[in-house]
Amino acid sequence: MDGECVKLLPQLCKVLAVSGKSLPDDTSLEKLLDWFSGLTNLGTGLVEACPCLPAFISTVIHNASPDPTILSFTFKLTGLLAATESSFKLLQENSLLLGSVFDPPHRWQEAGFWDDPCVRIGWVQGIRAMLQHPPALHFLVESDFTKVLLRLQTDTSLFVAAAANDVLAHILVTQSQLSGKCVDMEREEKSSIGKTVTMDADVQRLALTLGSSSDYATVVMAILEHVKASLVSKENKERHQTLQGLRLLIVVFGQARAPLLGILLKAVSEPLEALVAEGHSQLHLLLLDVLLTAYSCSSHDNPTTGQHNPTRDQVLNDPDSGQPADSLISHMLDTYKPPELIHAGAALLRRDHRDLSHKAKAAGLLLLPLEMITGLTLPGTQSAGSAEQRCSLAELMNSKTPCISLLCVCLTHATLLTCTPPDVLPCPIGSLVTVILSLLRICSGQAPISPIGSSKAYRNLIGCGKVQRCSLEALTALAVSPGAAERMSEVFSVLIEYLDNPDSEPTVLHKSYQTLLKWISVLPVPSSSIRDTLGQDLLSVVRKRVCDVRWEVRDSTVEFLGDLAALSPSNDSAQCASENPLVCSFTPHLVEALQDPESYVRASAIKALAQTFTLGWQQGAAPSQQQTALVKQLLDILSGDTEGFPRRAVIRYFSSWFSLWSQNAPGLPPPRSSSSSSSSSSSSSSSPLLLTSSVGSVLSLGSADLDWEVKVHTLELARLLLHRALSPLGASASLSGSDAASPRQPAPHPYAVTGQWAGPGGQGEAGDADPGGALAGLVEQGVLAVLLSGLFDCDRPVALKACGLLMDLRDAVCPTPAGAAPSAAVAAVTCKLQGCSWGKEVEALLERAGVVANGSKGEGSKGCDWTGDEEEEEEEGGGSVRVCDVLRSLDLDERLSVLSQSSDHVQNSPLSLLQDILSIGDRHADPNSQEVIVDCY
Amino acid sequence: MGSTGSVGLGGSVCVLWCCRGRCEGASETSRVERVEISVYCLSGHPTLPCNVLKFKSTTIMLDCGLDTTSVLNFLPLPLVHSPRLSKLPGWVSKDGSINLEKELKECGGRVFVDSQPELCLPERELMDLSTIDVILISNYHCMMALPYITEHSGFTGAVYATEPTLQIGRLLMEELVNHMERVPKAQTATCWKNKEIQRLLPGPLKDVAEVWAWKRCYTIQEVNSALSKVQLVGYSQKVELFGAVQVSPLSSGYSLGSSNWIIQSHYEKVSYMSGSSLLTTHPQPMDQSSLKNSDILILTGLTQMPTANPDGMLGEFCSNLAMTIRAGGNVLVPCYSSGVIYDLLECLYQFIDSANLGSTPFYFISPIANSSLEFSQIFAEWLCHNKQSKVYLPEPPFPHAELIQTNKLKHYPSIHGDFSSEFRQPCVVFTGHPSLRFGDVVHFMELWGRSSLNTIIFTEPDFSYLDALAPYQPLAMKCVYCPIDTRLNFHQVSKLLKEIQPLHVVCPEQYTQPPPAQSHRSDLMLELPAPPLPYRRCSVLSLPFRRRYERIHLLPELAKSLVPSEVKPGVSVATVSGMLQSKDNKHTLMSVPRPPPAAPTKKRKRVAEEPPELLAPKPLLSGAVPLDGFLATLHKHGVSEVKVEETADGHILHLQAEDALIQMEAHATHIVCDNNEPMRTTLRDLVLRFLQKL
Repeated sequence: MDGECVKLLPQLCKVLAVSGKSLPDDTSLEKLLDWFSGLTNLGTGLVEACPCLPAFISTVIHNASPDPTILSFTFKLTGLLAATESSFKLLQENSLLLGSVFDPPHRWQEAGFWDDPCVRIGWVQGIRAMLQHPPALHFLVESDFTKVLLRLQTDTSLFVAAAANDVLAHILVTQSQLSGKCVDMEREEKSSIGKTVTMDADVQRLALTLGSSSDYATVVMAILEHVKASLVSKENKERHQTLQGLRLLIVVFGQARAPLLGILLKAVSEPLEALVAEGHSQLHLLLLDVLLTAYSCSSHDNPTTGQHNPTRDQVLNDPDSGQPADSLISHMLDTYKPPELIHAGAALLRRDHRDLSHKAKAAGLLLLPLEMITGLTLPGTQSAGSAEQRCSLAELMNSKTPCISLLCVCLTHATLLTCTPPDVLPCPIGSLVTVILSLLRICSGQAPISPIGSSKAYRNLIGCGKVQRCSLEALTALAVSPGAAERMSEVFSVLIEYLDNPDSEPTVLHKSYQTLLKWISVLPVPSSSIRDTLGQDLLSVVRKRVCDVRWEVRDSTVEFLGDLAALSPSNDSAQCASENPLVCSFTPHLVEALQDPESYVRASAIKALAQTFTLGWQQGAAPSQQQTALVKQLLDILSGDTEGFPRRAVIRYFSSWFSLWSQNAPGLPPPRSSSSSSSSSSSSSSSPLLLTSSVGSVLSLGSADLDWEVKVHTLELARLLLHRALSPLGASASLSGSDAASPRQPAPHPYAVTGQWAGPGGQGEAGDADPGGALAGLVEQGVLAVLLSGLFDCDRPVALKACGLLMDLRDAVCPTPAGAAPSAAVAAVTCKLQGCSWGKEVEALLERAGVVANGSKGEGSKGCDWTGDEEEEEEEGGGSVRVCDVLRSLDLDERLSVLSQSSDHVQNSPLSLLQDILSIGDRHADPNSQEVIVDCY
Repeated sequence: MGSTGSVGLGGSVCVLWCCRGRCEGASETSRVERVEISVYCLSGHPTLPCNVLKFKSTTIMLDCGLDTTSVLNFLPLPLVHSPRLSKLPGWVSKDGSINLEKELKECGGRVFVDSQPELCLPERELMDLSTIDVILISNYHCMMALPYITEHSGFTGAVYATEPTLQIGRLLMEELVNHMERVPKAQTATCWKNKEIQRLLPGPLKDVAEVWAWKRCYTIQEVNSALSKVQLVGYSQKVELFGAVQVSPLSSGYSLGSSNWIIQSHYEKVSYMSGSSLLTTHPQPMDQSSLKNSDILILTGLTQMPTANPDGMLGEFCSNLAMTIRAGGNVLVPCYSSGVIYDLLECLYQFIDSANLGSTPFYFISPIANSSLEFSQIFAEWLCHNKQSKVYLPEPPFPHAELIQTNKLKHYPSIHGDFSSEFRQPCVVFTGHPSLRFGDVVHFMELWGRSSLNTIIFTEPDFSYLDALAPYQPLAMKCVYCPIDTRLNFHQVSKLLKEIQPLHVVCPEQYTQPPPAQSHRSDLMLELPAPPLPYRRCSVLSLPFRRRYERIHLLPELAKSLVPSEVKPGVSVATVSGMLQSKDNKHTLMSVPRPPPAAPTKKRKRVAEEPPELLAPKPLLSGAVPLDGFLATLHKHGVSEVKVEETADGHILHLQAEDALIQMEAHATHIVCDNNEPMRTTLRDLVLRFLQKL
């Protein structure tokens, strides 16, 4: 613990005890508890290290009228302090402090504090924090707090009730694992005291069964009795108690193991059966959840090891555990009303219920509303639902809200059918696809296939975006299912209709594109007739949609075209994306979209173009005239676009290009190409020339950008260049610069700052291990300038990334200890400082390090001036410095540690928190001081 | 009613009525039975209605829409000589028996009439149009048949319309006349209309109905004469029609100055809804609340495109327009010169920059283009709130002013003159007529039809685009159908009707069933708790609504003379004897003047000039005769032998000694005593003792 904080703590305790009401903000005490909790987790014994804390607790509980907030805090703090066994004992020894704090609650009740929910929840959370070891459980039993907890389980405050339920579940589940210890402790206790503890016979039997201590058995017994009582049928006003009992069972059943599970099941099976038989609609879904949690397959497995726990199965198959859950579930499915029935079906599938006949029934139930609406007969739904249930379901479907809601539940869960064993499936996947297509047609106002469906229900669905989206999602999920391919042409036909429909909402169109993409991805290569038809239809639709009035639609369309281009190689390896006639016909639309007034669309177009050319880049194909013209256009966007998104996308375009090209390119481009203008780049005919000449401009424009994300992306490009240059030297393949700032993500947002978009595939070519040449190349390309510019950037992520990359560079080219001379070739590489915003800062650092800028330029030194004004350089006498000197004088390690801290680390430090709280005391001491109100944004 | 009489609609005849009724202070409400409200349906087109309402002795024509779909059966009228059209072969029946080469031409597998296009008029035989008192116009699209109604039919009434309706309606009529007269055709084809010949013609000519109602377009003189009869009204202004009913226009939200109408008397309210919109476009929003509590709602002018959402169509329009221009093609938009075009231009104003169409010229060609664009800017009070507020800035309400200012939109009266010198391609041309049979659009069809780069975008819902394009086949240019109809759809109208709750709804029969092409779409029809009353062309509906009361004013001096008697708590009754004067459909009950002493004369007077003879009214009796009390009275007067027999309605008293019967029922008492008048009189007086006289 920080020494300063330790010094301040006693003072803080005094302030808190006196002026709890006027804390700077409500979260101060929570932050304080978080800090204490962190310290406890680190192994700090707070009771020993901070004796002021028990004193504070003592002060508060002996105060006749403590502030409720402080009282609540005190409960929580006490529980936290008593969370370790040693501290617990210390506190117990300390004039029975624990007993005074928690016991008895009626003391607080009498004083009127117990009415405040914050006091009650503080008490519950204090107990919860403390219950980490057997002595705490013993204390709980001894003090008879279980009764209080059971009472609080049905507290009027939902938060208190939920917290009490949580503690009870915690006791049942976690404490059983500590029961062994409890037994030992009990034995020790008995032997040391030499007395016989009298125990209730039931408790004794339970303790024996559980193999646990009598304390645990007592608590379990009390909780069981309470839960049993709560499950017994009650009037509506007491239903809350039943609901809480069921909620507790759901939590416990999910985590409990044998033998506790068996005991619980035996105890509650009878009242559960009675509840199921009574059929209170309010309890339906909770009851089902209880049964599914207790009997579901998924919870059989140990989540950490994945191993099967045989004892649980034994418990579930034990006939003493009451009526099998299967018969209860069957009863529920036969008696439920439609809304609960469908939800029950969904729950059965979701929870992966082990009983296959139930699963089949659930699947049939889920398809029932779809069948009713579309009028299509699905074979597996015949047995689903009684005639009465079907009748009331049909009636329900005539009302708009339930109709939409039920269909959405069905469609959302229809995707689970893809994971269902074929013998359980109520119908072939192909039929399911047909039903969904029919539903989509109804939603767009087209004639249904069969006239059996309810015409009233149609009205509810025509133009309903919610059902359309759910249907499209289900269709996407079904694309990969066996048997779905038979309906491919129908699917494409409906999706094209949706894309063409003027009334399709932008979100529906977006989903349609995603679904189409998924189905195209599974389109078998030989199906050229479908491909041709689809290509023509798609072309006419996309042409229209890229001109749509709504930018969201244009954006989705452009995004789709990019994704489609990205799909092409995997489908047709013989033909690259840029040569694919379908993709080629879309490329002009993407180029046109670069002029779109909406920045998101421009950015998406740039990304899509990159995806279009990806394969060409990978194969090292020479750039077409179109690509050459595009480079100029992209550089114009980078230099002139007013929005950040397109500029970021441009940098990522070049990063992607460079990354893919460098995987196949034999060597670096010739030097002195970075200063070439964009006009010269447009005239370049070979891909390396065009790329490398552009990269220089991209780096200089990107690093000078006002948007920090553009700069980070520019640094990412610099990282790729750095990697390529340093790979032959044996530098780490994974340069830390990228990882420090932006961890890799599997699927990045197109506009997010990530470092993986253009991640290099592997090591560069070995053999060219000339560190001097590599360094000179980097200086010449402008990479070093970008890194140094980034290092002194006011945006922390930029500086952090640049710092990491500079460290990589330093370690690669001058890894020797400070003061040792670098190799001659490396030492000869210099750079200029004039004309750069960060030049003066570097100069100052160099001066401090005793390196003189002008004097360091050695004979035959190789270097370049990224200001590009050589004449001026001559006149001014150079101003060059050795790159190695610069890298060493920057003190990068220290900078990295500073930059790694978040910008608000000072404000969030414990010391700052303590000082904030203490400031209240100062304010109280000075009556003339006025509170400063600070606006926080 | 004590007497009957007829009241002249002119309101100058005075008729004296004698009446007895219930007295309510100084006014009198009289119960009227068997006075019908009827509707004569002269047009079968649901969005171009022409109905006549007979209500309370007034005859009111509601709109006079002109069905122009008939022109689709005619060949287009090219502005410049078209070799293609002039070389079309004439039609001769297969067996050669009928030769109509001069009247009918074959084009693209269909037969068209080669004549001046004719328009389908509202029915003129169903009723005498000269009896129409007033014509109420809802919007400028629904008045195009006005000259046919007001001219040469003996019509002497008035026409009521709002100012924008009149002005824009005038423009549209002038444009129609201009289009027709610009390309005169000497001949008028009539032979093909012969029933015997028509049934032998190929479709669709064979199936065309009402061909004898088709007439050539009116002249500009007829237009001017018809429009001179229009009297301007403002929203919510109440216009009294002969004292019988009040009519009042309400904003309908569909077009500039478009109205729904309320026609009401003191006790009845008839609403007429025609072409209403709830969308936020340029006109003032629809006034819905005033339509509440109508006895009858005549509902017409719902959207013709219930499945085409206007927003979606507008999006389609813009996308297709941009797509064509980007590909180097021209866009032709055949449209009316007023109405949706304002919204299209406003939408394009926002879209032009976003679609990089800044350099593309937009042309609006119509003889009334300039006036239409300018009129739209000056009718500020008829515009929606947003546009109205712009006027105070001051800014033009519609952004097409800026398009004109920046030369992005140019308008010309025709393709001749300045337009030909400034015409640049690719471009977008808005021009009429949407039927593609006349107007400048014909020229552009001939000019651009052969290139697949060009696109024609239909935005008007009045014509089938396939029929419109039929005489231009084969056609290479792309066709896009984006009908934009902002009128109420069935979903909106259902909600509206739930809100305003009319007692009876009268509507075209097309609204009572789903469209034939989409028979499964039960959402595309009116479904009301009480089924609507459907009408079709030439039907006459007697509405099931009965008028029950009429308001009569009681003069104070007569009111003073009344002596009310309380028959039960809170209800007083008095008999009134007076003279009813009906003038201008207002009824006044006044004291009967005392007749002057009759001068001895032998000259016989006309009956009508004599005031009716004032007879003292017989008193009205009320109350019931108590049996016991009556028996006691009889006994007191010496009638002791009374045998009482109970019947279903009362009692029969048999006075055995007197040989008389008294039959006492709830509403009548009969005394039967043969040839014993004194006895009867005595018994009557005894009965009367128990009754109250009024």
